Amino acid sequence: MPAKMMQFVSVEQRQPDKRPVGERTHDFAEIYAPFTPDRAREQAARCEQCGIPFCQVHCPLHNNIPDWLMLTAEGRLEEAFEIASATNNMPEICGRICPQDRLCEGHCVLEKGFRSVTIGAVERFIVDTAFERGWVRPVRPLRERPESVGIVGAGPAGLAAAEQLRKEGFQVHVYDRYDRAGGLLIYGIPGFKLEKAVVSRRIRHLEASGVRFHLGVEIGRDLAFAKLRRRHAALLIATGVYKARELELPGRALRGIVKALDYLTASNRKGLGDQVPAFDSGELDAAGKHVVVIGGGDTAMDCVRTAVRQGAKSVRCLYRRDRANMPGSMREVQHAEEEGVEFIWLAAPEAFVGSDRVEAVQAHRMRLGTPDASGRQAPEPVPGSSFRLPADLVVEALGFDPEDLPRLWGVPELAVTRWGTIKIDWSTMSTAIPGVFAAGDIVRGASLVVWAIRDGRDAAAAITRFLDARAGAERQGRPALALAS
Amino acid sequence: MSRTCETGSEFVAAYEANLARLRAAGLDDLELGRDSCGVGCIVAIDGRPRREVVEKAIQALKAVWHRGAVDADGKTGDGAGIHIQIPHDFFREQVKARLPENGRLAVGMVFLPRNNFAQAELCRALVESEVLRFGYSVLGWRQVPVDTSVIGEKAQATQPDIEQIIVGNPRGVDDDEFERDLYIIRRRVEKQALAENVTDFYVCSLSCRSIIYKGLFLAEQLDNFYPDLSDPRFVSNFAIFHQRYSTNTWPAWRLAQPFRVIAHNGEINTLRGNVNWMKSHETRLWSPVFGEYNEDVKPIIQPGGSDSAALDNVVEVLVRAGRLLPLVKTLLIPPAWSNRIAMPKAHRDLFNYCNCVMEPWDGPAALVGSDSRWVIAGMDRNGLRPMRYARTRDGLLVVGSETGMVPLSEQDIVEKGRVGPGEMIGVDLVAGRFFRDGELKDFLAGLKPYSKWVEHITRLDRLVAERPKRFTTFDRAELRRRQALFDLSIEDMELVLSPMVLDAKEPVGSMGDDTPLAVLSKRYRGLHHFFRQQFSQVTNPPIDPLREWRVMSLKTRFGNLGNIADEDPSQTRILELESPVLLTSEYDALVSYFGQDLRIVDCTFAVEGETLKDALERIRREAEEAVREGARDIVLTDENVNRERAPIPMILAAGAVHSHLVRQGLRSFASITVRSGECLDVHYVAVLIGVGTTAVNPYLAEAAIADRHARGLFPGFTLEECLARYKEALNQGLLKIMSKMGISIISSYRGGCNFEAVGLSRSLCREYFPGLVTRISGIGLTGITNKVLAQHKRAMGEAEPSLSIGGFYRYRRGGETHALEGRLVHQLQHAVATDSYQAYKKFAEMVYAQEPIAIRDLLDFNRILPPVPVEEVESITEIRKRFVTPGMSLGALSPEAHECLTIAMNRIGAKADSGEGGEGRERYQPRPNGDNPNSPIKQVASGRFGVTAEYLNAAKEIEIKIAQGAKPGEGGQLPGYKVTVEIARLRHATPGVTLISPPPHHDIYSIEDLAQLIYDLKQINPDAKVCVKLVSESGIGTIAAGVAKAKADVILISGHVGGTGLRLLSSIKYAGTPWELGLSEANQLLTLNRLRHRVVLRTDGGIKTGRDVVIAALLGAEEYGIGTAALVAMGCIMVRQCHSNTCPVGVCTQRPDLRAKFEGTPERVVNLMSFIAEEVREILASLGLRSLQEAIGRTDLLKQVSRGSPDLDDLDLNPILVRVDPGPYPRHCTLVGRNEVPDTLDAQMVKDARPMLEDGEKMQLQYNVRNVHRAVGTRMSAYITRRYGMDRLQPGHLTVRLRGSAGQSLGAWAVQGLKLEVFGDANDYVGKGLSGGTIVVRPMVSSPLVASENTIIGNTCLYGATAGRLFAAGRAGERFAVRNSGAVAVVEGCGDNGCEYMTGGVAVILGPVGDNFAAGMSGGMAYVWDPEDRLAERINADMVIFQRLEVDHYVAELRALIEEHARETGSELARRLLHDFDLELPRFWQVVPKEILDKLAVPVRRASAAARIA
Repeated sequence: MPAKMMQFVSVEQRQPDKRPVGERTHDFAEIYAPFTPDRAREQAARCEQCGIPFCQVHCPLHNNIPDWLMLTAEGRLEEAFEIASATNNMPEICGRICPQDRLCEGHCVLEKGFRSVTIGAVERFIVDTAFERGWVRPVRPLRERPESVGIVGAGPAGLAAAEQLRKEGFQVHVYDRYDRAGGLLIYGIPGFKLEKAVVSRRIRHLEASGVRFHLGVEIGRDLAFAKLRRRHAALLIATGVYKARELELPGRALRGIVKALDYLTASNRKGLGDQVPAFDSGELDAAGKHVVVIGGGDTAMDCVRTAVRQGAKSVRCLYRRDRANMPGSMREVQHAEEEGVEFIWLAAPEAFVGSDRVEAVQAHRMRLGTPDASGRQAPEPVPGSSFRLPADLVVEALGFDPEDLPRLWGVPELAVTRWGTIKIDWSTMSTAIPGVFAAGDIVRGASLVVWAIRDGRDAAAAITRFLDARAGAERQGRPALALAS
Repeated sequence: MSRTCETGSEFVAAYEANLARLRAAGLDDLELGRDSCGVGCIVAIDGRPRREVVEKAIQALKAVWHRGAVDADGKTGDGAGIHIQIPHDFFREQVKARLPENGRLAVGMVFLPRNNFAQAELCRALVESEVLRFGYSVLGWRQVPVDTSVIGEKAQATQPDIEQIIVGNPRGVDDDEFERDLYIIRRRVEKQALAENVTDFYVCSLSCRSIIYKGLFLAEQLDNFYPDLSDPRFVSNFAIFHQRYSTNTWPAWRLAQPFRVIAHNGEINTLRGNVNWMKSHETRLWSPVFGEYNEDVKPIIQPGGSDSAALDNVVEVLVRAGRLLPLVKTLLIPPAWSNRIAMPKAHRDLFNYCNCVMEPWDGPAALVGSDSRWVIAGMDRNGLRPMRYARTRDGLLVVGSETGMVPLSEQDIVEKGRVGPGEMIGVDLVAGRFFRDGELKDFLAGLKPYSKWVEHITRLDRLVAERPKRFTTFDRAELRRRQALFDLSIEDMELVLSPMVLDAKEPVGSMGDDTPLAVLSKRYRGLHHFFRQQFSQVTNPPIDPLREWRVMSLKTRFGNLGNIADEDPSQTRILELESPVLLTSEYDALVSYFGQDLRIVDCTFAVEGETLKDALERIRREAEEAVREGARDIVLTDENVNRERAPIPMILAAGAVHSHLVRQGLRSFASITVRSGECLDVHYVAVLIGVGTTAVNPYLAEAAIADRHARGLFPGFTLEECLARYKEALNQGLLKIMSKMGISIISSYRGGCNFEAVGLSRSLCREYFPGLVTRISGIGLTGITNKVLAQHKRAMGEAEPSLSIGGFYRYRRGGETHALEGRLVHQLQHAVATDSYQAYKKFAEMVYAQEPIAIRDLLDFNRILPPVPVEEVESITEIRKRFVTPGMSLGALSPEAHECLTIAMNRIGAKADSGEGGEGRERYQPRPNGDNPNSPIKQVASGRFGVTAEYLNAAKEIEIKIAQGAKPGEGGQLPGYKVTVEIARLRHATPGVTLISPPPHHDIYSIEDLAQLIYDLKQINPDAKVCVKLVSESGIGTIAAGVAKAKADVILISGHVGGTGLRLLSSIKYAGTPWELGLSEANQLLTLNRLRHRVVLRTDGGIKTGRDVVIAALLGAEEYGIGTAALVAMGCIMVRQCHSNTCPVGVCTQRPDLRAKFEGTPERVVNLMSFIAEEVREILASLGLRSLQEAIGRTDLLKQVSRGSPDLDDLDLNPILVRVDPGPYPRHCTLVGRNEVPDTLDAQMVKDARPMLEDGEKMQLQYNVRNVHRAVGTRMSAYITRRYGMDRLQPGHLTVRLRGSAGQSLGAWAVQGLKLEVFGDANDYVGKGLSGGTIVVRPMVSSPLVASENTIIGNTCLYGATAGRLFAAGRAGERFAVRNSGAVAVVEGCGDNGCEYMTGGVAVILGPVGDNFAAGMSGGMAYVWDPEDRLAERINADMVIFQRLEVDHYVAELRALIEEHARETGSELARRLLHDFDLELPRFWQVVPKEILDKLAVPVRRASAAARIA
């Protein structure tokens, strides 16, 4: 039935209900309750159905957002699901963890004055409903193709590529050094943002679709790159970036200073029921501690909120710029503040203080300098502004750099950029090695899940073109490489 | 020193050379002229010839000069002429030596080549030999005496040698046979002359009964040019006269009228279809009276004629074949009958019979004709030309476009009437009898047993009812595959198909179309995207299909059509359906009806091994064979698509088969039914029918509806209902598309190719769509094949296809490109907000980097001159003055946005256009801070909202909006929810009540009407220039020339991309053409006609960068409209929900909460204009030009740099780049001030009223008035308004008493304080725009007429009146009080469409009303005295209720008005009604709009009144 859209003039924005702070800080379950069907329809009907949908324009996946909003408003959820999943391999995950306030919702024309349509929440609702009702069916290509494709890395880029390649009928093998597939989705992002069952549901879907996972396999250690190449008609490198950035400060060697990813992984593994000695020993457990997290990105937000849930005595976040200039999602900051996290803006650590274990962080105030040509203001220390924060646990969340893959894997011909990311031709997603492609953070540096999915899809399309061309050439009896170049 | 003018012969030589150049460049189908005119006749009813008849006709022509146009030399007219009986005495004397006693003779009036004696001699020989061959004698040639000193140089340059041949009748046959033979002789000679390549030979008339004198002089010079006519022996019992107003300046002698039978004032909108159908009818046209010469009369329609000439050809052949002239008129120009409620059955059956025989020649027409026995005067179904008549005591009938053309003594007049829509009056000269309309129709209906005959008609809907229902369905996978094959997208399903079912209407949208032309698109675009809908502007009006649907019909005939010369019951053995849209169940019924006589032709082709061209040949062959074997219906279908077979685009298939059958002369033997999968929306259906399809079954759309229905998406409807609603939406859409170009009847629309191709290969059009206009060529069979095969591969490939998301109507990633994409919007807004020219340049670079969207994207500058330093180029300030923000109404825009634009444009000396809808008085004065919110350009649109004397006097320029780029040929509607208190005040309406702008201006049905409106506007504002806004289409050059001749100062050519606040998506997408095409054509034809330097050309439509501006200048424009870009500068982000009133940035909304979001500033708009101007300077410098003026018309500085995609046949822009040699005149406008119009009576009145104007004294003035005195009181009102304001004088402060027949536009925009009293009568447009004045029209005291039974004022009175009073003791014409929003009026009867679109005021009608009364009336009130109780069948009650008066308040109001009427006019009827008021009160109706029922201070219903008091 037709829905009257453009209801923003009379219906206010209502995100799904957030669980009360008192309740949600005691577990790792998601903080948002799902939309009820009525609420989803009501909120979807607020959409203005723009002539230029800026939500789509600013979505890395170019999701056809106004279309599935309209279908949701009309109660046509199965069609909404079809459209949502036509451009996105894991919309329910994007619906949960995308920083919508910086992407679709942030560019919604209603944001100013009326507050945006709750795009992420509706997306999540659509796809959760689809799983519940059994609309998410395994991929069954019309024709199986003999070529196999190897994908290194079972994170969002690899998984997106895997599904796309299965749709084309290729034999897809995914390798990951961890014991579970999902990459950061499973070990990096805390459950209160993305419950692990949501991720494993996707993995099961891929398994059912014929994707074969090879877990606990590290290239260069368990399996030589050359062997891997021989095994597959094409390879996709989608390992992500895992090398944590570190602060070179006095006292850095003290115990109690940990890396964000180690901290989050431990917490997630614990939640999944694994044995985690470093957590059980208290090394990676914030319970009863004064916690200081350094950094202003989404990883830092994940850390502070994890610490709250682990029962920290206090949680503070130190960031050298101000609220307006932080890279993380404003919504996450808001959640964290609600949950009792204290933000100390315009402050940077100078040293870690303590004898064996860390006891405090010595920091100084910062101020923002005059804007440069691009308008960005560089922070600079305010002289004589030092202060100390007591800390039993310091988590460094300063970002990630790529590992040195050419060295680790023994493939010097794999060209990298000066930042260590893999160099590709963006129009073909191809690395310097013919038949080897790359996608995701390992190409663009640490970025959003949604970008990883986009890259994975682009890579899958490029691999398909590559293999089609090769198949065509073989049919014509010409050498394959002539075309592959 | 170059000369500044050229001689007539220089002009003729230059014209021909220029024309040859244009044609060589591919403009070979350039339309060169349209005409329209004053027409009439004088008849001696008793049939006895009188000298008086001829004299009065000559007099009449002298009094309609203002309906013609005069060239700059003041002498060259567009032609005039007279058709009279042969004065036998006169001619007998010429040949007396050779003529036997009492011998009959015939006279031929012949135009011979003048400067080529050999050819002239050849022509004479041809005529003579044919005359002799038929056994008649040549009595001699007579050189017709002419006085060439009275004609202009140009006319002289082309003047033929004018001679008469006098033919004797030695065989002594009777006149009927003689006349018929003369006809055949003439036809044979004409053909032979053509075969000899003599083109300058023309026979005005060759008859033993009548003769035609015509030529290219001003109407008033007729008897001076032809001294013959002053000879007292020139007597006649009838005289038909005609004055032509042609849109061009080419002196064409043969196109002067009258023609052999008729004289026609109008335009045949369906000409192309009619001509095509005549070709088909010709095959079996056979009349016993032509005997062995039947083939000699063919082709019936002779080349080189005008639409009127073609119509005359057909009338003539039918008359000569023996049909009665009045019946021929009924056959060709029937009244509306299929929907009308009240009509005698015998009449209806007659018209139904006519419908079986022939498709009407549709379009506005006032037709006068004579076959020497009958003289008739008739109107088209819409009554779109005025025709008044008077009958005198001594048996003279005077008919003409205006009353008072022939001065008659009022005492002698026994009847004054008018010929209404579809009506016809006639005189049987032999019987000596005058027939009024009803009498004539009774007579015709009694000629044959038509009522019995029409019983043979089979109605398809009855057949359907008897059969089991069947629906087309496919399983979902197959449905999707097929939809993907035809590129039907999710957007098509959701935005187009779904609303058609749910609302039973076409979907609406807003803003303009910014996607690429189909030919430039990289994506698959169905063939229908290449067809642009044509529309009416200026020379004829569009129709309102919503309010005036009664005149329209979609009735479709199937099967075999008969011999049009026959008159027998076999002609009615046809199958008939109410619509050309077939549902599957109807298709099934059709199949079973035709049985063996139906042939199915498979319109698919093998992907491997068959070319599209082969396939087209195959289906043509199959169709032809089928018809030759007796098939009566051919079904073309693409159902059989599969993995091996791709569809032939159905439009191509239909065009191929139709054109082939027409060429073979077989088309009328069978109907063509199409089953198309691609057909979804109304535009597709319209194209199919336009290229010749009889009926269309959109089977795949039907299946899609069935699928959606099965999924529960149409709750509450059965599938059958859903399909019926879809069909209804298509029907309504078809009516809309037809009405846009003024066509009422689908059978005349069919096969007319009433489209313009943009980007279709010229050779493809010629082969498959003959007659289709195409300017720039483009995609051909190769390109089409590639697109179809690519689509086939995608849909029929391995993977399951998914529907594309769309992106055609609204931007979607991966869909169609849009000129304004998100990043462009942001970049532009960033640039204007930060005043950064660098940022603007980046915006411009981004624009230029886009894929080609518009024609100009294929052009680049041709830098052939050395560049000049930028410093030498004229300043930004100079350039900005040429910028205009196009008309965007307050109502569409929020008040904040509207003012912001105006203030910004005033700050830089540029122009903002108010748009339709008035402007508040408070904006006419500058603000305290100096900002001026007064729009320099005030728009006059068809709604005339807020168009008052004051508004018009606050303007520097007045723009007549004829059409709008987003919706040419259509009206507009401001939904009630947008009519705020403020908007209602400006528009003189009720808040919350819907306001309708009609499709046409009801005072512009023809070019001379436009000239009249321009005249009126130049009277009401003595200084303002007048601009006419047109929309680009082929033929616009001709229209522009006509507009220039009508004394416009500025002509605006809008491109199709122009925006709108609310319109049908199909209109936004498929009507109009790019401005590049229209502008260049207008520039070329204006130059060709030597009119270019007299008028400013302006253009708009998607102009947003300096490059756009310079290209527009090089193509000929002097001023440039920048609309959407200005909106974006103010914050518009292309949400495209203007129609929803939910604009989130406050630009296009009336909601206070959303208006508050407006963040635009004048500075941003100023920045935009400055940036564009700066870029213009840089480009000019690089081109070596120092000013924009130097650039105008310099197409040599442009070159084509891209020819589009490689698989196009050709995309040749040369037609728009070819330059016309301007002769001694500049290529730009040299006009200083404005093109002035002649004075009217007001010049004298203003002189005489000096004491009133200067000292405020109360005065009374008195004059005699004639119909040539137009717009009396208007200039006076201008001075009153300027001196005293519009409403500050007391009513009646200045009284002007007039005796006689007042000309058109009496009291237009008359203001309070002025009272005009006419003793006599008045013509059309009385009280147009009345702004507070009082007008009284009453018969002379001496008149013997019963005032209430006679017509006293003409058509379209009180159009757009806002205040004032009108009392007329007599009947009014059609469309009385149309769109009145405040005037109070009393008349004693009115014609059709009375009180249409009224939004305020009171109309009291003391007498009969015509059909369709109160259509679209959303405000005001009407009282109708209806003693015969006919209102119920006449009223259009869609928007009004009608009831007896229930509430005293209104009884008192009515009574007071009748009393005032009696007092002012001395009306006998009023006096009688007052005397018996209580008895008569129950015979009054009160007509009240439904929307205001709950808004009236005093309710009109007793019950609710009581409730209110309680």
